[in-house]
Amino acid sequence: MTSLLEMRGIVRCFGPLRANDGIDLTVEAGHILGLLGENGSGKSTLMKVLFGMLPPDAGTIAFRGRPLAGHHPREAMEAGIAMIHQHFMLVEAMTVTENVMLGWPDAGRILKRGEVAERVRETSRRFGLDLDPHVPIAGLSLGRRQRVEILKAILRKADLLILDEPTSNLAPPEVADLLSILRRLKSEGKGIVFISHKLPEVLEVCDDVVVLRAGRVTGRAPVAGASRAQLAEMMVGRDITAPHALTPREPGPSRVVARELSAAGLSPLSFEIRGGEILGVAGVDGNGQLELVDAIAGLNRARGGTLVLDGNDITHASVAARVAAGMAYMPADRGHRALVRDMTVAENLMLRDSRREPYARGWLLDAAGRTRSARRLMADYDIRAAGPGAITARLSGGNQQKVVIARELDRSPAVLVAHQAAWGLDPGATRFVLDRVIGLRDAGAAVLYVSSELEEVLAISDRIAVMSGGAFVAIVRRADADLRQIGLWMAGRAA
Amino acid sequence: MTEPTPSAPSTPVAKPRLPFGLEISGEGLALRILLAVLLSILCAAALIAAAGHDPISAFAALIAGAVGTPHQIGVGLNRTTPYLLAGAGVALCFRAGVINIGAEGQIAVGGIGGAAAALAWPAALSPLAIVAALVGGALAGALWSAIATAIYLGRHVHEVLVTLLLNFVALLLVQQVLAGPLGQTGAGFLQSPLLPRESWLPRIPGLDAHPGFIIAAVVAAALSLILWRTPFGFALRVAGSSRKAAAYAGFSLSGITWGVMLLAGALAGLAGAIEVMGVHHRLIEGFSLGFGFKAVTVALLGALEPLAVIPAALFVGLLEAGSLSMQRQIGVPSALVAVIEGLTMLFVLAATVRRT
Amino acid sequence: MTIDIIAAAIRIATPLLFAALGGLLSERSGVFAVGLEGMMLAGAFAAIIGASATGSALGGIALAIVGGAIIATAVAVIAVRYRADNMVTGLAANILALGLTSYLLRVIAGGGAPASIHLDPLASWPIPYLSDIPTIGPLLFDQPPLTYLAVIGCVLMSLFLRRTQAGLTLTATGENPEAVFASGSSPMRVRMIAIITGGAIAGLGGAVLSLQQVGTFTDGMTGGRGYLALASLIVGRWTPWGAAIACLAFGAAEALELRMQTFGVPVSSYIVQMVPYLIALAVLAGIGRSSRMPASIGQPLPR
Repeated sequence: MTSLLEMRGIVRCFGPLRANDGIDLTVEAGHILGLLGENGSGKSTLMKVLFGMLPPDAGTIAFRGRPLAGHHPREAMEAGIAMIHQHFMLVEAMTVTENVMLGWPDAGRILKRGEVAERVRETSRRFGLDLDPHVPIAGLSLGRRQRVEILKAILRKADLLILDEPTSNLAPPEVADLLSILRRLKSEGKGIVFISHKLPEVLEVCDDVVVLRAGRVTGRAPVAGASRAQLAEMMVGRDITAPHALTPREPGPSRVVARELSAAGLSPLSFEIRGGEILGVAGVDGNGQLELVDAIAGLNRARGGTLVLDGNDITHASVAARVAAGMAYMPADRGHRALVRDMTVAENLMLRDSRREPYARGWLLDAAGRTRSARRLMADYDIRAAGPGAITARLSGGNQQKVVIARELDRSPAVLVAHQAAWGLDPGATRFVLDRVIGLRDAGAAVLYVSSELEEVLAISDRIAVMSGGAFVAIVRRADADLRQIGLWMAGRAA
Repeated sequence: MTEPTPSAPSTPVAKPRLPFGLEISGEGLALRILLAVLLSILCAAALIAAAGHDPISAFAALIAGAVGTPHQIGVGLNRTTPYLLAGAGVALCFRAGVINIGAEGQIAVGGIGGAAAALAWPAALSPLAIVAALVGGALAGALWSAIATAIYLGRHVHEVLVTLLLNFVALLLVQQVLAGPLGQTGAGFLQSPLLPRESWLPRIPGLDAHPGFIIAAVVAAALSLILWRTPFGFALRVAGSSRKAAAYAGFSLSGITWGVMLLAGALAGLAGAIEVMGVHHRLIEGFSLGFGFKAVTVALLGALEPLAVIPAALFVGLLEAGSLSMQRQIGVPSALVAVIEGLTMLFVLAATVRRT
Repeated sequence: MTIDIIAAAIRIATPLLFAALGGLLSERSGVFAVGLEGMMLAGAFAAIIGASATGSALGGIALAIVGGAIIATAVAVIAVRYRADNMVTGLAANILALGLTSYLLRVIAGGGAPASIHLDPLASWPIPYLSDIPTIGPLLFDQPPLTYLAVIGCVLMSLFLRRTQAGLTLTATGENPEAVFASGSSPMRVRMIAIITGGAIAGLGGAVLSLQQVGTFTDGMTGGRGYLALASLIVGRWTPWGAAIACLAFGAAEALELRMQTFGVPVSSYIVQMVPYLIALAVLAGIGRSSRMPASIGQPLPR
């Protein structure tokens, strides 16, 4: 009997980089295959090749025994492959039914709204998706939106579902729901590719697992016999399951004090961060983290309460005044906010200090001072670029983040607010970022470290706050952290 | 973003890129703009040939008409002046990501301001009449721009729509003041009385031109200095590339918008006053017709670089000055110039698009 | 008097409505329709040329469609394929249309002076029985053919947007082109087709002006109506019927102005002429941030 999907010797290059370097992959009907790998290991590229979004440079694909080559997403869908992207491909202004109808031949050229809505309702019931056909997507939680994508795949009679990092935006209970939906699909004979870099979920739901590293398959095994440590080692070439070692340190006096601080999207929050302390914020993305960091950095205007930095009330201070008072901020949106992608490295290094020495003298900018400073920072922070005049967009993600770190940390800040600081970075760059953040803490600064990667927060924080629905549900010391309890807190009002 | 980005330590050094995808690095850009201009001239040649005329002799007549005599050069420089002043301001706005299409109305209102100041200026202070009228024009232009800016920032209406609609209002406003307080009765058409001689711009000896072009070129150089050498210029370039990054950097987006809009409005108003004081010596109906769009054309043609707007404005100004000779001598309609302008703009847009 | 104004409002609104419907297609697909002015102008010119060359109004209407589509094609290629700024591309197309129509109008006369072609404006087609209804009959059912076509266009556009797969895809492209790509269509194709079809419809609006109402073409005869059409489709919140109501409102404002002039109301005609633009501004400012424009409008397609 032929396999549902057979990919043989897939090669795909981006310039000199071999993102897929001769990958073989087989998926059986009624099986869930875990595709494991760090960011940049080639998982997404492989799936885009399969789905016809990128042509491969070499290799063959056979789906249900039939070759698939030179295809586009439309042909892949018609063949019975459905892809559920990490960022959902839904139109927020439209209803569930309208999103289902979009591009679906069964909906007819003249739309059969009522008929499709009925099928949505019925399928939703059968698979326990709990979706109302007439609700606009904009009003649905991320977990629900994902179910709309799954519903689309089911209605289009897909035999193979590809889910790209499906749990990254879900709270633990939503993850549990998703996994049970997947088991249900499996029992109906669907093949599923479950792409993830989170080991526990893969171990829980998958039958087999394939591990990618640097564009190659570094391991494949049935889940039944594999251990967490083995898989981790296959992923990165060494065991990363050991947590980072944070030297215990007696924190100094309070440097940041928030009292009933509220702002758009933020319930009144109270917390303190002491010098030499990292307060980690865990939580599912979209639960007020962005609003919180923006409120502290001065980009989300405070509606009430107070925020004090080193004894000075900065509740209503401008962004520039906060920078002058020693506020450093690494935003999550590296490409459009933390950096101006189409400007040079030197210009990005002066982005938040352009009116000060050495970047400006009197009324004019100091080009020589800028270049001098850029060269020094590039050396100190190991920024690999052709020179101060290199365009920032052409740097790797890790080097871009180093530009941000260099700019924010070189000011010797009193407080650092870091949001998703290691997001999308390779292990080496992640290490660099975390080491610098810890170094700043050891130098006596207060750090607020916000990330949706729970393991990362646990590894780096002295205390952990759990955020849900725009509020802190709890703040615990690291020593007292109980994973199960934190998971429940995260689910709080999000589900 | 899970797509692996090849780390590129060997990236060639390049200059930053502009909004609208324009690149300002020397290599390539100037050449591509020249190619775009050339392509539109070729299209124009085809249109001339299609009309049964010889393109070579038509262009020869056009060039002779533009730069054949000092008098004609002067006429060309006078035409260039408003395009350059307003275009340099538009370039600055576009750099800041503010698509200001309002130069037309700002020039018109600047003309009103200049004429009103010149007519009202007391004779006793006549040595200062020119300065007063220029300032009056600039203030009026800035005021008109301020109305657009207030609606844009206050009510979040797209700036293109606000400035476009206000252009129509401004043109009617000129007619209204000419039918009312500033009008000359019994002239038969809408115009103001002749301005007092003290407020006329002097002629440059030997050229039949007023010194407006020199003012405009100095202004363009000053804008280039602001753009590249001052913190304000840096802030506006950041804002043009990414509004979010500008807010993060601590720049006031509304401050930047007010800054570039008032500056551009004042320059367009100045252009209107110079046109009134240097060319017509009175305010006339429709004197600013089409100037605003030409300001946009020259700003794009000059790659939004104020210094490069100087040759761009000269190109358009001289082209228009020469086209009348072409029409007289060869019989090719001077409307061809608008075709060349439109095509050039389209080709420049296509040629300078971001290819990353 | 009121009847007069309504009749005039319908007359003035008709070309606006065609242009607004054309612009609607473009904006729903995610591309600002600033080029409407040029598309109308090209349509107005082509209509007169076509009608006088073929001796039939139908020939004029056919060529108006082509004329509008040609200018729209330039916009589509530069703004979509080359990802240039929508607004500036539209303005460039308007300049091009203005120059090209003026140039050609003179070239066909063989020299410097513009050709003067005068045709009889299209006669009205009274609809049997309905046009006999007192008051309403002559007002609504005794109109020239393109006016009926505008109403039919509005109905069809509304059905197209709400009831068809193509309409759904069009709207989705303006909201989230990536979702359209993932659903198997090409957002680039959708936008190109939308702009060019929209240009053809806007060209009909030009034909209304030159062929149905005036009977001749003069330089720049659209006189800003394309921009007013753009404003009305925004004021009408990107829906065909909303745009139709906005067009009628602008038409009524202008009609009122004409009446005031004839009755010697002591308000300057220039001030009154400003009214449509001021209304547009006031309404836009009133809608402000709350207006729900297509989410991806003005943004080039992701690669």
